[in-house]
Amino acid sequence: MAERFLAFVLAAACLGLWCGSAAAAAPARVVSINLCTDELLVQLADPAQVASVSWLSAASAGSNVADRVMDVPQNHGFAEEVVAARPDLVLAGRYTARAAVSVLRRIGVPVVDADAPGTLDQVKAEIRRVADAIGHGDRGDAMIAELERRMSRPTPVRTPKLRAAVLRPNGFTAGPGSLSDELMRRAGLVNVAAELKLDTYGQLPLETIILAGVDLLIVDGDRAGPPAIATEVLSHPILAKLGDRVRVVKIPPRLWTCYGPSIADAYDILVDAAGSAP
Amino acid sequence: MEIAAENLTVRLGGVARVDRVSLILRPGELVGLIGPNGAGKTTLFRALAGLREPDEGAVRYGGRTLADIGRRTMARRLAYLEQTSEAHWPLRADHVVGLGRLPHRRFGRAAAAGDAAAVDRALRAADACAFRERPMSALSGGERARVLLARALAVESEWLLADEPVAALDPAHQLGVMERLHEAARRGIGVVVVLHDLTLASRFCDRLVLMAGGRVIGDGAPAAVLTDSAAAAAYGVTLARAVAHGEPLVAPWRRIDPHLERNR
Amino acid sequence: MSPSPPYAPLAGALAALVLVAFVASVRIGYATIDVGGALADLLAGRTSLGALVLMELRLPRAIIGALVGFSLGLAGAAMQGLLRNPLADAGVIGVSGAAAFGAVMAFYSGLSASFGLALPTGGILGAGVAVALLYALAGRGSATMTLILAGVAISSLAGALTALALNLSPNPYAATEVMFWLMGSLADRSMTHVQFAAPLLIAGWLMILVCGPALDALSLGEDTATSLGFHMARVRLLLIVGTALAVGPAVAVTGAIGFVGLVVPHLLRPLVGGRPGRLLLVSGLGGAALVLAADIAVRVVGVRPELKLGVVTALIGAPFFLLLLWRLRREA
Repeated sequence: MAERFLAFVLAAACLGLWCGSAAAAAPARVVSINLCTDELLVQLADPAQVASVSWLSAASAGSNVADRVMDVPQNHGFAEEVVAARPDLVLAGRYTARAAVSVLRRIGVPVVDADAPGTLDQVKAEIRRVADAIGHGDRGDAMIAELERRMSRPTPVRTPKLRAAVLRPNGFTAGPGSLSDELMRRAGLVNVAAELKLDTYGQLPLETIILAGVDLLIVDGDRAGPPAIATEVLSHPILAKLGDRVRVVKIPPRLWTCYGPSIADAYDILVDAAGSAP
Repeated sequence: MEIAAENLTVRLGGVARVDRVSLILRPGELVGLIGPNGAGKTTLFRALAGLREPDEGAVRYGGRTLADIGRRTMARRLAYLEQTSEAHWPLRADHVVGLGRLPHRRFGRAAAAGDAAAVDRALRAADACAFRERPMSALSGGERARVLLARALAVESEWLLADEPVAALDPAHQLGVMERLHEAARRGIGVVVVLHDLTLASRFCDRLVLMAGGRVIGDGAPAAVLTDSAAAAAYGVTLARAVAHGEPLVAPWRRIDPHLERNR
Repeated sequence: MSPSPPYAPLAGALAALVLVAFVASVRIGYATIDVGGALADLLAGRTSLGALVLMELRLPRAIIGALVGFSLGLAGAAMQGLLRNPLADAGVIGVSGAAAFGAVMAFYSGLSASFGLALPTGGILGAGVAVALLYALAGRGSATMTLILAGVAISSLAGALTALALNLSPNPYAATEVMFWLMGSLADRSMTHVQFAAPLLIAGWLMILVCGPALDALSLGEDTATSLGFHMARVRLLLIVGTALAVGPAVAVTGAIGFVGLVVPHLLRPLVGGRPGRLLLVSGLGGAALVLAADIAVRVVGVRPELKLGVVTALIGAPFFLLLLWRLRREA
């Protein structure tokens, strides 16, 4: 009862005070509560439109826009913070901060859910969706065109193709259906994890990856992060002892964790690796 | 080796439970330590056995202190039987008795054949052979007490300090144990026992030490210590005396009512 | 009561069991390797993939399993002897939890990254404080209730502090890593872990094992043990430090694996006639066999991601614990 009353009051406040302008073509105040939508928002919107971004995009290790959000207010994905920022539009990820999103929807705040794309086409679709939602479709088109240009770079032809596997903290890898898998295949690599019948992002024991016979091990690049058991697997002595049998390729996770122009940078590294001597 | 307590004081919680006690114990004697509850018998015993450092005074063993002799050597020369000792695990009786051989074992060595023989002798002496292979948890209180006595005997030390070794035993075993202790003393071992049974004490002991309120109030031959006035002062009882089979018999007979005493 | 089997053959049989479990643990993995071929490669100095996996993944995993299992079994038997209480297991009474907290502090502060021994040292300090505290609270006599309650308090405090430390650490994996520290795992451990933990563990074992006769004597109480020539203060110190050295580095490497020190001594006690001194070595061996077997189980049951080791030992151990409590209650 109390909850419903609260929702009613919030909705009334929303209607009476500031939600009226949400219908306008270009929302004046946009809040993003997801790292990936943060990046698109910062890159596509007018600075004045950005009301707040998630705290993750200010943490430099995982973010491509850390230097550009220094002065932008941060949120932690709580509905209360978001409402207080009086947004005309909220950008959220389909799999993150769901509790906040459902509250926001209930009190009538417009929310755009961005999907986690598994293919390049879906990446483009997500960029377009976010760009349209914030009223800058033209900038979205330009971003997509630039991405297409960089992704069309010729890939090395080589037989047999080099075999590669992604090794993330906690032994997670990138299986079939993931964006990483598509980028690897596109760059002319064989994704070993795809042979091992994994889910999209499965956990693999180290010995399985090693015995599957990999030429390239793709690990997180900048590993100056805080100590964690999760990242210990990346410094396991066996990786050093593999010697020239396996080459370690470093890709900073921020390059291809999200769907933005930075995946072209990850792609460049993959193509270079695929073309190099084994 | 003589055990000499020199002006011994032991305080527990600030209260002197043993108060300036001086005592010389010689091998070859069966000494009974008697006295009412709370007289300080067990506290004195622990100090004599080197388990409790005295607050004042000292205990000397053949003129030397425990620190001079060392605890390991001491363990071979003096066996101590705790008043309320129990086995915490379901140990077999003969394994418990075997613990008495630990002071003789070099570190890391298994039990020697001599140890097994000593265990056998101790079990026989305490009449505990019949249940030597049973676990302690399956024994009666009296049987357990005999096993624990056998454990102390198995040390085969020159001194045996036993705190109430017969309290849990039936009459036949009480007599049996007292006879063994008496024989042990005859063989030259120094035996000190805490006793509550004045009849057994006066009959078997060569010497009695009577304590009350932490002090020694009587020390000497049983007949000299267990006087009517001492029994009244220490225990508040009268004694009945008789002669049985040519031996003197003493038994506590009547409580002395303090009110009557005062009114008389 | 059935006569207990002779000691040497019992210890020998358990050692053989550990050996079998060890070999099985090395052979059973996620992928099939030709162990014989890998071994031949290794001896010939060829670093084939199989040889690398054998040397760097399978062997460290099995060695750590055996070392940690031995430590937990031995420490359980030692603490049960010292506290004269069959429920004293490192996991149950909070020693492992405190060790995990110590290790967590050393690990997430970044101390162990710059100074490798900081990790086991953290574990040792945590375990040492917990054992000393437990001894102070429940050492004399065997008040089961006091011991268990003290253990519950220490466990939950250590668990809360562990979670707090992880929350405060700027680490995106913190939430999942609480599981590692509370439940334990041998996944992807390396020879580095073996190198820094083994000497400390073995030092702890020796300190505990020399106390065997003293623990036997202690089953008749502290006064009797003292009268049998044991310096109880020294024995206590040896056992507390030995337990900390055995449990601390073990938990620092694998997280807290519960119930090993409860189940194993309990099963083996009748086989050594209840003698706490003889229980030590066989409990160590039994613990090693149990942890190796549990680690084989988490790899063959096919649950992915891999089950935490403590899940398996708790599934076996917790019902056991309840059974023990039930029996103690009936006896009381």
